[in-house]
Amino acid sequence: MSYLDTPRLHFTGHFQADVSTINNVVGYFDIDSFDPAKDQKLNGNGGWNPEGTAIFRFISCTITGGQHDDRQIMSAADDPVIGMALENANDKVFGKLVDLDPQQQMVSQIWGMKLRLAGNGQPALFGGEFVPIAFYDLWGRQVFARLRSDQTLGAIYQSVLKNVVWEGVSGSPLLADLQRVSQDRMLSIDFNVYGYGRDATNPRYTIGRIAGTIGPYYAGEPRHFVMGRQIAPLGEEPNPPAPVSYVDWFTCKVHDDRKIVTADFGNCLPIVDAGGELFPQGPLVLAVFKSETDVPLTQTVTADQVAILGNVDYLRPGWYAQTAGIQDFDYSGDSWCVANIGSRPILMLSPQTGGYSVLGQESLGGYYVRADNFVFRLNPEQHGQVELYASRYGQPLAGPIQVGPTLGMIGQTGSQGQPPGVAVPKVAIPPDGISYPDQAMANAAGKAVLDIKAATLKPAKPRGYIDGQLYGIGYQLPQQPQQTIGTPFNFTSVLVFSPINSPEQPTWYSDIQPILTQYGNLYPIMSRHLVDLGNYESVVAHLKILRLAFSLPIDDPNHMPVTRDLSEAKRTMILRWIDRPGSDGLPIKGTPMVSAGTASPLETIAPITLDLDPAQTRGKTAALMEFKARQTKDNP
Amino acid sequence: MIRLDRKVIEAVQAAAVREDLYPWLQKAIELEHSTIPPYLTAMFSLKPGMNDEIARLIGSIVQEEMLHMTIVGNILIAIGGHPAINVPGFIPEYPGPLPMAIGGSSFKVGIEAFTLPLVHDVFMEIEKPEHPIPVKTLEVAVPDFATIGEFYAALTKKIGEFGNSIFTVPASEQVLNWFDAARLFPITDRTTADKGIQIIVDEGEGTQTDPFQSPGNPAHYYKFGEIFHGRKIIKTASGFAYGGDVIPFDRDDVYPMKSNPKIADFAPGTQARLRVAEFSTAYSNLLNVLHTAFNGKPAIIDTAIGLMYELKMIAVSLMQTPTGDGSKTTAGPSFEYIGALSDADA
Repeated sequence: MSYLDTPRLHFTGHFQADVSTINNVVGYFDIDSFDPAKDQKLNGNGGWNPEGTAIFRFISCTITGGQHDDRQIMSAADDPVIGMALENANDKVFGKLVDLDPQQQMVSQIWGMKLRLAGNGQPALFGGEFVPIAFYDLWGRQVFARLRSDQTLGAIYQSVLKNVVWEGVSGSPLLADLQRVSQDRMLSIDFNVYGYGRDATNPRYTIGRIAGTIGPYYAGEPRHFVMGRQIAPLGEEPNPPAPVSYVDWFTCKVHDDRKIVTADFGNCLPIVDAGGELFPQGPLVLAVFKSETDVPLTQTVTADQVAILGNVDYLRPGWYAQTAGIQDFDYSGDSWCVANIGSRPILMLSPQTGGYSVLGQESLGGYYVRADNFVFRLNPEQHGQVELYASRYGQPLAGPIQVGPTLGMIGQTGSQGQPPGVAVPKVAIPPDGISYPDQAMANAAGKAVLDIKAATLKPAKPRGYIDGQLYGIGYQLPQQPQQTIGTPFNFTSVLVFSPINSPEQPTWYSDIQPILTQYGNLYPIMSRHLVDLGNYESVVAHLKILRLAFSLPIDDPNHMPVTRDLSEAKRTMILRWIDRPGSDGLPIKGTPMVSAGTASPLETIAPITLDLDPAQTRGKTAALMEFKARQTKDNP
Repeated sequence: MIRLDRKVIEAVQAAAVREDLYPWLQKAIELEHSTIPPYLTAMFSLKPGMNDEIARLIGSIVQEEMLHMTIVGNILIAIGGHPAINVPGFIPEYPGPLPMAIGGSSFKVGIEAFTLPLVHDVFMEIEKPEHPIPVKTLEVAVPDFATIGEFYAALTKKIGEFGNSIFTVPASEQVLNWFDAARLFPITDRTTADKGIQIIVDEGEGTQTDPFQSPGNPAHYYKFGEIFHGRKIIKTASGFAYGGDVIPFDRDDVYPMKSNPKIADFAPGTQARLRVAEFSTAYSNLLNVLHTAFNGKPAIIDTAIGLMYELKMIAVSLMQTPTGDGSKTTAGPSFEYIGALSDADA
C-alpha cells in the first residue's frame, strides 16, 4: 500500500527552499582562488541566494481533499480532516534541502524534516519523520516564466514518514482507517513541487507550491516509488511558446481487488506559470492498449485498438487542489479490461481526428526496474546497499537485474561561470573507486539488494580541490526491449569520500582551517553572522556548539556541515582537534603553512556554453541544460 | 535594577508553604526571559563589521540572561514546581511592561533596532542596580520602591526559612548543560539556591562596591553604559570612568528595522510576512523545547541550542527583507507564540 491506495489525504500549499547558491559553482570549492567580496555577492557571482540557510519547510499546507474507499472527500462535511494543517515540527529546527555535490545537483535531498497533522486545536493528530530522499522526475513543467528568474522545473518527492506517533483522529473516519491500516509506524507520502521563485525582489522568492498526498504504508514495500505501472512520455518536452501537448512520466496502480486504476498525474501535466494552473492541452484520456507491443506507439492509434478507462479530470476547476492530481478509474464494467489490464500497456491519449495520438505509453513490455534508495555517501572501504525492485505490469518480477557504470546526470559544471583559472574536475575517475557485481538477483517479491563498496581512492583526491569522487550506477532488465525509453533519473549516485592521513594531534593551520574555510566561503549566512569558520579565534569562541553540531547524526536537521559532504574521517579529526587542547586549554593552532597551491584535479572537463538567460545560469536549470547539451554533443 | 510592585515582595514574604513560591519563581523565569527578545533584536540589527564589539557585548548579556532563566528554572524544579514556558502568556506583550510590572506600568519595552537612546533609556533602565556606583557623573537614584534585588533577597530569605527539606527533586531533572559548572550547578539545598540567586544578582548588577561582576567583566548595567558612552569602563584614581578603549558605533551599519513588528502587520503572501512568521514559528519551537527540557527531559536542551542558532540565521534574513510598505524599513522578529496551528503563516 502507498499513497496511491486508500484512505489517502491530499494537501496543497507552499514550501520554502532557502537554498544557498554559492556552492552551485564547482570552482568556488577552491579556497585559494575564492574572493568573498565578489563570490558571495547577491545576483553577482554569489547567485540569487548567497545567504541561503538551506531551510526547507512547508508553509500554509492544508488538507484539501481525500479518498476513503470509494468515497471522494471534498469538504469538512464529508470528513473533518478537510481543512486541517500539515505542519513542520514544533520541537526542532526546520528541515534542510541539500545537493549531493556541486557536480551532482540533481539529487537534492530533504534532511531532518518532521511533519505533523494539526487540527481541531490539537498540535499533532499524527507526526512523523520524513525519511530523507531526493527529488525525482525533474522536468520543465512550467510553460511560461513571467519572471525571467522563475524556476520552471517541477519535481516529485516520495518517501515515508517514520516513527509515526498518533495522538488522535479527531472524529475523522478517514484518519481512523489510515491509522488502522498503516504498518511499521510509517505513512507513505508523495508531493509535487513547482512554481518556485528566485527573484529576491519578488514575494515568491525562495517559495514554491506543493500538492501532495499521504496514504498508508505496508511493511516491505519500496518507500520512494510505487511498484505500479510506469508511463513514459512519447513526446518532446515542451519548448514554449510552441503549443504544448505533452505529458511527463507518471505512475498508475491497478487495484485488481477493487477494479480500480489509480493514476498519479500530480507531476506529469504542464502548468501555465508559477501560479500552478494546469495548462489546457485539450482532452486527455487514460486507456489500455489492446495488443502487446515492443515499440513506442508513435503513430495515431484508432478507437478499436484501445479500451478507454476515462477522461483525465484535469480541466475541472479545483481538481488539482482537491486531488493533488490523483484520479481513480473504475474499470469494473469493462470485461475486456477486467481480463486483460494486467498484461497490456496503459496509455495516455489525446483525441485526434480518426483516433488518438499517444502522449504516454507504459514502459515497453511492462518491464520496469528502479532503485528505491539512489543517493549514497560512502567513506573509504564502506559498503552500501542499493535496493532494486523489478516488475512487469506492476507485478514483482524475479530474475537478474543488469548493473553497470553510468554517468547519468553526474559530472556537470553546475554553472555557466567558473572562476578564472579553476578547471572543473572530471568525475568517475579512477574507475575502480567503487565496486559492485555486474548483476543482482531479484527474489519473488521483485527485490534485489546490490552491495556496493567504496575503495580507498588513489589518488586520494581525484578532483583536487573538492573532496571525494562521484560515481553513477545504472541498471536494467535483460528482458527490456531495445527501444525502451529510460527515465534519466533511473540511476544511483555515489559520492566516495577521500581518505586522509589523520594525525593524532590535528592542528588548526594544517588540518582544520582548510576544511572550515571552504564551508565559510560557501555559507556566508553562517560565517558572516554566527561563526567565522576560517578564523581560529571565532571558531574557538564557539567550540561547544560546533562540537555538538559536528557530533549530530546526518539525519538531524542541525547536523554540520549542513551540506552533509564531510567524510567520517574529517569529521572525527575535527572532533579530535576540539577534544585535545594544548597546554593553554585551547585547541592547537600550529603554525601557518605556506600554501601548497590549489590541488589539481586528475583530469578536467571542458566548459560548455549554453544560451541561457543570465538568471538561469546556475542551479538546476543550468545543470539540466548542460546535461542535455553534453548528451547531444556525445551522441550527435 | 528597577522598581517593581511591592506587593510581589510581600507575597513572597507571606509564603507559608513551598507551593506558594511556585508562581513567583515562574514570574522570575518570565522576567529573566523577557529581556532576551529586546536585547537579541538590538543585537541582530547590527550588521557585521564596525559594530561587532557592541554585538559581542549584548550577546554576552543575553547569554547571562539565559543562564539566569535556567538557574531560576532549576530552583523551581528542585522544590517540586514545573516551569511553564510554551504558553502564550509567557512572552510579554511588546511594546509593553515587563513581568511583575517591573519599572512600573508606564515603563514599556519594545522590539526595536539598536540605537543609543534605546540602550540608555530602556536597557540601562532595566539593568540599573539598586545602588549604582557613580561612574563619571552618573546620578544616584534613591529608591523608595521595591527592587528586583529585594525580590531575589526575599526569595533567598524565604527559601532559608523553609530549609533544605523543600528540595525534593533530584538534579537529574535540572538543566545543567552549556554553562560552566561554577555558574550552573545542581540546586539541591538552600546553599546552592542562594549561590544561584547571588550569581543572577551579581551578573545583573555587579557588587555594591564594584561595577565588575568579575575582573574585566562588567555587570549588565555597566556593559550597556560602555556601549552608550562608546568606551570601556576603567578604574580611575577616584572611582570608575567610561574612559577605556573605544567601542565604535556606526549608525549606518544597523538594519532599518520596523519597530515592534507583528505578523499581522504584513500582508499575506509577502516575503516580510513569510519570514516574520518563520522566525516566530522557530521561536515558538524553541519555547516548546525549553518547556520539555525544564519538565523532565533536560538532555533535549541540545536541540534548543540548535534552534537558537537557527533563529539567528533566520533573523539575519529577516532584517534584510524590506517591509514593502513604501518605507525604507525592513522586517524584524515579532516573538509571537504560535500554538497548535500556524495560521499566522503566509
